[in-house]
Amino acid sequence: MHSIFTFQTKIDPAKVGALTAYLDQIHAQLLTHPELPFPLLTKVHFASLVIVPDDRYGAYLVFENNIDGTVDAYIEQLCDVAPAALHTIYSNCAGYDASGGFDRGRMRTYLRAHVVRPGASFVGNVGRDVARIHAEHALRTEIEQYLDGRSAAGALGTTPAAIYAQVRAHVETMFPWALQPQGRLSAAEMFKRKLAVWELIAFALLTLPLLIPLVLLFIIVLRIHELRDRSEIPPPDSKQMAIVTAREDNILQNHFASMVDVKPGAFRRFTLSLVLFLANRAAAVSVNGTLSNLNNIHFAHWVLIDGGRRMLFLTNYDGSWENYLDDFIDKASVGLTAIWSNTKLRGPLLNFPTTSFLVNGGARDERNFKNIARESQLLSNVWYSAYRDITVPRVDMNSTIRDGLATPPDGPAIGDWLQRL
Amino acid sequence: MANTEKIERDDIQGIVLSGYVHLPKTAYALLTVDAARSADARAWLGRIAGSVTSARKKQEGDSLNVALTYTGLQKLGLDDATLASFPIAFSDGMASQRRAYILTDNELDASSAWSWGGPAHPVDVLLMMFAVTPERLDALIATMLGDAAAHGVTEAVPALHAQLYDDRNEHFGFSDGIAQPVLASARKPNDGVSEGNVVSDGEFVLGYRNEYGFGSDTPDLGPDKSLGKNGTYLVFRQTTQDVAGFWNFVNAAAAHDPAQRETLAAKMVGRWKSGVPLVLAPDADPDPNPDPATAPTDAFGYGGDPKGLACPFGAHARRSNPRDGLLTSTSPAESMQRVARHRLLRRGRSYGPRIADPLVDDGKSGERGLHFICLCADIERQFEFVQQTWINNPVFGQLVGEVDPLVGAQTAGDAVFTVQREPVRRRVLDMKCFVTLRGGAYFFLPSIKALRWLGTPRTNG
Repeated sequence: MHSIFTFQTKIDPAKVGALTAYLDQIHAQLLTHPELPFPLLTKVHFASLVIVPDDRYGAYLVFENNIDGTVDAYIEQLCDVAPAALHTIYSNCAGYDASGGFDRGRMRTYLRAHVVRPGASFVGNVGRDVARIHAEHALRTEIEQYLDGRSAAGALGTTPAAIYAQVRAHVETMFPWALQPQGRLSAAEMFKRKLAVWELIAFALLTLPLLIPLVLLFIIVLRIHELRDRSEIPPPDSKQMAIVTAREDNILQNHFASMVDVKPGAFRRFTLSLVLFLANRAAAVSVNGTLSNLNNIHFAHWVLIDGGRRMLFLTNYDGSWENYLDDFIDKASVGLTAIWSNTKLRGPLLNFPTTSFLVNGGARDERNFKNIARESQLLSNVWYSAYRDITVPRVDMNSTIRDGLATPPDGPAIGDWLQRL
Repeated sequence: MANTEKIERDDIQGIVLSGYVHLPKTAYALLTVDAARSADARAWLGRIAGSVTSARKKQEGDSLNVALTYTGLQKLGLDDATLASFPIAFSDGMASQRRAYILTDNELDASSAWSWGGPAHPVDVLLMMFAVTPERLDALIATMLGDAAAHGVTEAVPALHAQLYDDRNEHFGFSDGIAQPVLASARKPNDGVSEGNVVSDGEFVLGYRNEYGFGSDTPDLGPDKSLGKNGTYLVFRQTTQDVAGFWNFVNAAAAHDPAQRETLAAKMVGRWKSGVPLVLAPDADPDPNPDPATAPTDAFGYGGDPKGLACPFGAHARRSNPRDGLLTSTSPAESMQRVARHRLLRRGRSYGPRIADPLVDDGKSGERGLHFICLCADIERQFEFVQQTWINNPVFGQLVGEVDPLVGAQTAGDAVFTVQREPVRRRVLDMKCFVTLRGGAYFFLPSIKALRWLGTPRTNG
């Protein structure tokens, strides 16, 4: 199972520069940094270190982790692989006792105390750990090269069954594990997640008589808030764009970190918490790598911080920023608007584009939506992906290819399997 | 989401609504403004604004259109606030590192080696001149450039020539310029335009509703900031085409079999040489000697070819305009809607001598190619998106490690092209790139009113 969380620590105001410099150094040697060699952190799918500049709440360091297994086991791996880096990083942060160098027990306690779990999260490819994603990709690559070689030698079978038999025999010795079926999510786990959604529906039905007046009241209050909100969002200036695009488009995947203010007042805070709660339940029942039909998000999460006054959003996605935002608007503007319409940036008119009934308008105002998204974006000082060129649908397709080896298809299904190559 | 609000043809430059097919001869003059003579340059621009062809009606003998780069606008003396109202892609410029990264203009395509538009030969103004005969064109060039030079606006490089060939083909031998989007309000009854090609005006002209249903962003030009309307952005990229290199590569990959060679090339393009799409004729070109005056049909989609068996997923035409077949969409209609937000109005023309035998290198591969020109209201969301997310995306759809086989930035060593087939796909290995970028820039194509305003004297300069 995956764990999604951040370590959030306040940075000593005098040491923001030093920490930034150290993170830049890690960024420059992302795969080979002697003190933080990410590839040796074998549990990590995606990780980032983001400095949130001081904006009324002090500067924060957000260390994002999307990992296999439990937080505790991961902390042990971090202490094994990167003790010096942890020590250097947190020496710049509040509450860390740096005297006497790295101390495993102290570090463990410190990290555990700063774990922040998401309010809502999403995983694109459930049930697959890093090792399996790499192994299944290697399997697919090997099959493709094998077919190229056979084809060039004029030794490729002429029927689907013959080619399938050739491929299966070829991988049998190289990748014996591939012939053993392995599911994506256990039936029990899926049942549990679906149950969580049904619980909500049942709860709503049972409390219907009570709920209806509450919902009506909610809508009235919501409309009052919406009619009061105005929004005017200038294009982000060149300086902000230079900051946030500096480390973008470096590989086929990208990272987006953003911090927004929750609109003032208890009502918006309540609405946002409710929407995040519902989104979290809904996202958990998606198993084939799609969130509201978005199929380019590996890991994403939302969390309210600073006593619910700010919302942090972190996402690890495939493709370009433009494509990601367009996809978001086209396919998920309802969910997107329901969440972000409760937020704003600093400045009287820097509200999310105006909405009606929580989900209308908003993100569909493409230009203004992109402007505010850029404006809210933070520089991802360090960002690591364990599989830089494997997209969300590719991870799943690789599993499907492996499924077809573990459980041999017959008849026309053999032809279908070959078409996946 | 097409709409029918009328556009102001008098104020829009003619090239937005017309490809000027009645004017086959073309010259693109790339000019620089003497920053010390800003007032002269403005006077010149104000003068020629009256000669600029509008989209109101066809001009018989010749046509003239004018566009400016960001540096051109700077040198004309626009103030910082006005300049800041232009989008960042435009102010960065195509040659900038940031845009090069998005466009994958690396190594061979680096702007440092461009013959224009790069740091060695920056460009401020583009004059596009079209004429019915070479004589008319020469006369127009002489008048325009003479007048410009007298105002300190001089040629950055000698004017580029181009033409429409009688067969309407580009140099590799394929019919070009099909699948052109049409502005919703520019439609005529029974024009035969397929629905998929009808796009909201705001996608190509600033100030009108776009495919999101919102007004497209305009820069703050003019005394009341309203003159950005009716302008648009123009992307110009000059590429050379190594025709013999392309056909010899295809020939080798097709085991030197002429029929297989034609088929493989068509698989790479997504259409036969005649322009007939592969999904309508999977096995052979049904129209080997097409009539150049009749455009091949463009009313087709990829819904009937979900496995890519007729037209490969990675074919140039399927990548650059995926129609109803975006694999990341949930329905054909959703795919069409999304694709409509990334269309380009192409206005480019080929240049250079035709090759006699496409399999024999005549030593002139550096002299022929395409002056690719396209218009769009949002450089980032349209031109750059198509380049980055479709053409040069190694993981487009369900593909792995391949880019557009015709114009993509192939990486040496591991570039492939997958041809979906039964029983199993074939991969063409060691793909190579046969087009090279020689120059380019992002231009703003102002409205005619904006041109006049840009050409009026300013108190600060």
